[in-house]
Amino acid sequence: MFGRSKKAVEEAAVLAVLKTVEDPDLHRDIVSLGFVKDLKIDGGSVAFKVELTTPACPVKEQLKAECERKVRELPGVEDVVVEMTAQVRRMHEPTGPVLQGVKNIIAVASGKGGVGKSTTAANLALGLRQSGATVGLLDADVYGPSMALMMGAEGRPDVTAERKLVPIMAHGVKIISMGFLSGPNTPVIWRGPMVHGLLQQFLKDVEWGTLDYLVIDLPPGTGDAQLSISQAITLSGAVIVTTPQDVSLLDARKGLLMFRQLRVPVLGIVENMSYFVCPHCGERTEIFRHGGGKKASEELGVPFLGEIPIDPAVTPGGDRGIPIVVEHPESPAAKAFAAFAKQVAAQLSVLAESAAAKLPHAPIMPGPIEWK
Amino acid sequence: MAVEVAPTQIRQSGPRELEITWTDGHVSTYPVTYLRRSCRCASCIDEWTGQQILRPDQVSENVKPLRIDPVGRYALHIAWSDGHTSGIYTYDHLRNICPCPACAAGRAAPQS
Repeated sequence: MFGRSKKAVEEAAVLAVLKTVEDPDLHRDIVSLGFVKDLKIDGGSVAFKVELTTPACPVKEQLKAECERKVRELPGVEDVVVEMTAQVRRMHEPTGPVLQGVKNIIAVASGKGGVGKSTTAANLALGLRQSGATVGLLDADVYGPSMALMMGAEGRPDVTAERKLVPIMAHGVKIISMGFLSGPNTPVIWRGPMVHGLLQQFLKDVEWGTLDYLVIDLPPGTGDAQLSISQAITLSGAVIVTTPQDVSLLDARKGLLMFRQLRVPVLGIVENMSYFVCPHCGERTEIFRHGGGKKASEELGVPFLGEIPIDPAVTPGGDRGIPIVVEHPESPAAKAFAAFAKQVAAQLSVLAESAAAKLPHAPIMPGPIEWK
Repeated sequence: MAVEVAPTQIRQSGPRELEITWTDGHVSTYPVTYLRRSCRCASCIDEWTGQQILRPDQVSENVKPLRIDPVGRYALHIAWSDGHTSGIYTYDHLRNICPCPACAAGRAAPQS
């Protein structure tokens, strides 16, 4: 009642200050980007929503604080409520009936084995999930499927009336793995065409539903499985996992060049087993040297997505089916994985924005051309 | 790496022509017989020597695509009326073989 006599806050004034808030990844202000929604002004109370392009935005809290502060400084404003929401942008243009409900498909690859690719893929999926996104995880490492064990997902997938496999849910993520179909004691021996067929099935005949992100754990190297997936679907982007040794970096480069040939955008390089933090004194030891991943990403002109420390807690958690970002979210490795997941989401948002700017119209080829 | 061009539109533009519009604005129109003769698959091109195995006269003038599918983000797959289905045409290759007079003159000029 008392506030009524005061001059009401103008909508235009609020939008004008919000226009000075810039998204650091997209390099545009949040009003032009269309992020500001549901602006309500009641006397001195201002409430609005900021709708980001991903719930895993690395600067979400920073943007929220900046919006609150700038609006609060306006004359007449007594109270500011900012709600941060997200609408994940679509970077995946389906070229057929496959994976229609999936907005982004991220391949996790490495040039060689043993770099912790599956651990990285699992924690990436969980990091995105924890930010509030809907996430699927496809274990395409058909020869050595480890995702069932690592994510603690057990059982055999149900089959729907339409003969589609239903992914198994673990830690809030939908998972499909060869490990569900073959027992742990059965070695998987596949010829190339069989791998191709199986992967096609995992993409076509699985009830993935609607997902913000589908993370695909590829087998190591540059071979049949990588090619099959890159041909069968339009990957939104690829993440290359490496370790600091030169030989691993050499292989990372090969992986990167393969994706370039296939025109799959490389979202960046992440360096795993980057350093060791002593749990007693906190001292940082760079066991395999350090900085190779960053250097490689600079040389190859792709973003550096982060470095994950060696943490003795990563392995037992993975072996018991509770990945580190779930079991010890405050540990250095879990924090590094969570930050990396946000970087991946940010890179996809940047790609989606620039693709929308370049190609405002329909997809180049919405489906096959039947010759007339 | 040079800025790569990508298709913005791919369509059948005539009874025997496939048309691709590229991100740099260039428009390529391919006679389909020419496309069939430009197949780079392992049974048309020797994988080790790069020499063409397919003789142009083996390709009927009446050959036409039955169906064209996108392959990932980088290529097209064409199923041909003569039964040939193993060819994948990358966008790089398609742009390199653009038959328009300007591109053909560029290819004929010695590379410096």
